[in-house]
Amino acid sequence: MGNEHLERYRDIIPDFDAFLDFMCRPLPVTVRINTLKTSVPELLSRLDRLGIGYERMQWYPLGLRLDTEKPGRLMEFHMGLIHVQEEISMLPPVVLDPQPGERVLDLCAAPGGKAAQISMQMSNRGIVVANDSSSARIVPLRANLERLGAVNAVVTSYDGRRFPQYTFERALVDAPCSSEGTARRYPGVIAKCSVKRSIDLQSLQVSLLRRALQLTEPGGVVVYSTCTFAPEENEGVVSRVLDLADLESFTIPGLRSSPGLTSWNGIDYGEELVKCRRYYPHENNTGGFFVAKLRRRLSADE
Amino acid sequence: MNKETVVSMWKERFSIPEEVFDGYSFFRRGRMIWAFSLPEIPPFRCESIGMRVISMRESPWKPTTYALQLWGRYARKNVIDLDDEMARRFFAGESLVMRAPVERGYVVVTHMGSVIGCGLYTPGRLISQLPRERRILEVECLQASE
Repeated sequence: MGNEHLERYRDIIPDFDAFLDFMCRPLPVTVRINTLKTSVPELLSRLDRLGIGYERMQWYPLGLRLDTEKPGRLMEFHMGLIHVQEEISMLPPVVLDPQPGERVLDLCAAPGGKAAQISMQMSNRGIVVANDSSSARIVPLRANLERLGAVNAVVTSYDGRRFPQYTFERALVDAPCSSEGTARRYPGVIAKCSVKRSIDLQSLQVSLLRRALQLTEPGGVVVYSTCTFAPEENEGVVSRVLDLADLESFTIPGLRSSPGLTSWNGIDYGEELVKCRRYYPHENNTGGFFVAKLRRRLSADE
Repeated sequence: MNKETVVSMWKERFSIPEEVFDGYSFFRRGRMIWAFSLPEIPPFRCESIGMRVISMRESPWKPTTYALQLWGRYARKNVIDLDDEMARRFFAGESLVMRAPVERGYVVVTHMGSVIGCGLYTPGRLISQLPRERRILEVECLQASE
């Protein structure tokens, strides 16, 4: 699957051979229970009746690993009781922790699983702006939000770098990235990855994250996430916005992770970058992810 | 759109208590009524705002399946609960030959107490009103797994 490219991470990913092994394994089927339309006991009793086995996620009470091949064919999916969502992609909204009544931005929202999760966390109160620059991706974004019952969601289609002025309490930037961490689902993805591609994506990612920070009120939270291992797209991006925000540590009990890198290939990112978290496939049997939690500075010196 | 008018529609047809709609506002765009969580529409160029809940194309007004999935569980009348086999057939888009103690018109169709969606009841028959894009969603679900 293009292991030569992944070799560049041998020194930073713990237990590297196990990592390579997991990268070739298919992902477990995972779903999120949508409490806007059902409850955990109600959904579990439906699965029991259907005879579908499940395992609950240790770190997230609404996450399930399902013993079924095609969860999108289940009646429960069309009823909006569940959403098919990769386990680790349920994490950024949990770190964001939006509250009912707040104004929240999801800057790169399609296909909408995380935006719908944010709506659910807010109990359909306040507003979540689900933005995506691609008009083609707006169709599935709207369809998912509607099926999942997100009444507090507004869909917009701005270029995220030029999202119009407004004040949010929280923002999620789940940035477009080289997607190395999705290789277990899309094995062809690694072949398209290169250092050059990561560096090309970096300027877009920095612009998106800076815009999200500018749109967030002082003291507000911005979560930056990607599904790639490339430091250029992760710590290399976060280190360039620390004039606007401070990094915050976070821990998710039940989910194994590694600290962010403080340097890479001779580039110094700064000591505080250890507060970011890296999630590797072999640590939790998930896809790969990077998550940083930033708090907008109180005194904005832009 | 006058909120009382919309709330009374749900109350008359399904006996859904008014409190269920606390915190929501409604507005009309074309022949659809949409629900949203804020009293005013935010100042963006929006692709959509909230959720479509009622279609005024039909007479009488028709609740959307997605609105019933959200609020139908609070309905106290015009609800039909199906057994496993009937639910499977209704979900597949079949019309069911059946009699139920409900009024003629749009009904909340449930299975094990969870809402499947909207059905049209005429004495002796229950016709599926589930959205046709269901099949499209199935394909998108694979892409939506992020």
